[in-house]
Amino acid sequence: MNAVEIKDLDVSINNREILKDINLELVEGKFLGIVGPNGSGKTTLLRTIIGIIKPTSGNIKIFGSIPFDAIQKGMFGYLPQSQKIEMNFPARAIDVVLMGIYSRLGTFKWPSKKDTDRAKEMLSIMDMSGHENESFGDLSEGQQQRVSIARALINNPRILILDEPSTGIDVVGQENFYHLLKGLQKKLSLTIIMVSHDIGTVTSYVDEIACLNKTLHYHGSPLGALNDAVIRRLYGKHVDIMMHTDLCEKCERLHSEQKD
Amino acid sequence: MLEIFSYGFMQRALLTGAVLSIFSGIISVFIVLRRVSFLGSGISHAAFGGVSIGFLLGINPLLTALVYSIIVAFGIEQISSKGRLAEDTAIGIFFSSSMALGIVLVGLSASYNVDIFGYLFGSILAITTGDALIAVCTTLFLMGVIFVIMKELYFITFNEELAFVGGISVRLIKSIFLLSMAIAIVVGIKLVGIILISALLVIPGAAAQLLTKRFYRMVFISCLISLFSTISGIIVSYLFNLAPGGTIVILLSTVFFVAFFSKTLNNA
Repeated sequence: MNAVEIKDLDVSINNREILKDINLELVEGKFLGIVGPNGSGKTTLLRTIIGIIKPTSGNIKIFGSIPFDAIQKGMFGYLPQSQKIEMNFPARAIDVVLMGIYSRLGTFKWPSKKDTDRAKEMLSIMDMSGHENESFGDLSEGQQQRVSIARALINNPRILILDEPSTGIDVVGQENFYHLLKGLQKKLSLTIIMVSHDIGTVTSYVDEIACLNKTLHYHGSPLGALNDAVIRRLYGKHVDIMMHTDLCEKCERLHSEQKD
Repeated sequence: MLEIFSYGFMQRALLTGAVLSIFSGIISVFIVLRRVSFLGSGISHAAFGGVSIGFLLGINPLLTALVYSIIVAFGIEQISSKGRLAEDTAIGIFFSSSMALGIVLVGLSASYNVDIFGYLFGSILAITTGDALIAVCTTLFLMGVIFVIMKELYFITFNEELAFVGGISVRLIKSIFLLSMAIAIVVGIKLVGIILISALLVIPGAAAQLLTKRFYRMVFISCLISLFSTISGIIVSYLFNLAPGGTIVILLSTVFFVAFFSKTLNNA
């Protein structure tokens, strides 16, 4: 079944054309990376998929539903580019995770002990056990990302949407983070859509890649995106792509970790 | 000293002040966390335009202030949400034009008298039984509404986009909050006046944020600070013949600075 179907999508904001003639299908359970230069419309595409931005024309179906209905059915788990949370915002890690079930609970109902246990379990899956009562603002960016994914996953979404999730995380942290996502995809049979500007890193982890610069220049297997013609169309000039291979020292470290 | 509690005007003032201060303590938390302090200040000053319309037309100024403040609150929200103007610019325009309207209308009004000072600086000790009843019932109703939507409001305050994708009716909850804020401001005018009401909407939450990093504790501490300052302010102002509105805000500010310096010393 198709998790996402986008047909003839155009999006204009303040009379400026941001996305043009986007057509894309993503099968359930796949990990899609959306790459492109700054200002190429990656975040706009994500925000249109989750219903925050209304398309100028065309349509989007999420498991056969329009984005608004998909939201109501709790299909999305979402991690925005920047959470802009004040350091002294009064929220513990567990409070943030529990926010993910507020809509399901309904008004004037509060999380039960069972819900709190589930939130702790999600934090444990994210390797954040012991941080439940720490203030969210006091956590490192990497830890905040893990807590945010726990929040995004607590309601058992069918699609996880991530917008530049590795921003602010160091290189090793980024690799661990992508491995974590890959593991979640398999463990929870999740469909994942992730926006990134780092084409080299993303190609090593995703099943499919979509190259976007106002319109889709390529959608298919990750290695196909590294074709010089695609890169030229995407960035407007030749770009050298650095990526990990089996000979890469860092990857060997990660492979050995996996074997362990 | 205890005999002051036997006076009818004092009982009305304390009851109204207590209920209103608890509500402003709750609202204050969201105003501080959502960083909309200037919005509170803008709506309260805009209420002066509404009060002056009431004076001119000879109807209850609180009623006209209520309608006017709600229109201004949603006007600011509409203009800024469309992205045409920044929120603080929209507030600045409504704030000054409403004050200007108020000054012109009060000048035209035949009832230009000390009453206007009651609205500008508060007149809690002069509150009538009818006004006290309306203020208490309205505030208790609003408190109930905020309790019903509290966790959704908390989520929206944390991050609106996440709340939207999480299935929360962001626009509805924001509208209820805005409406509650406008009504709280108008009801609070009787307590501390148009000029000082924004203090009641900002200081309790700001002081509470210095003292805790837990949300429900912050709400509780904010209510406690607001209630303590209001009740003490009313009593102290009566005992020493001071202006109640000003006394309440001075006490609130004192609590804030105590919290601020104790936090600074703890961090040192």
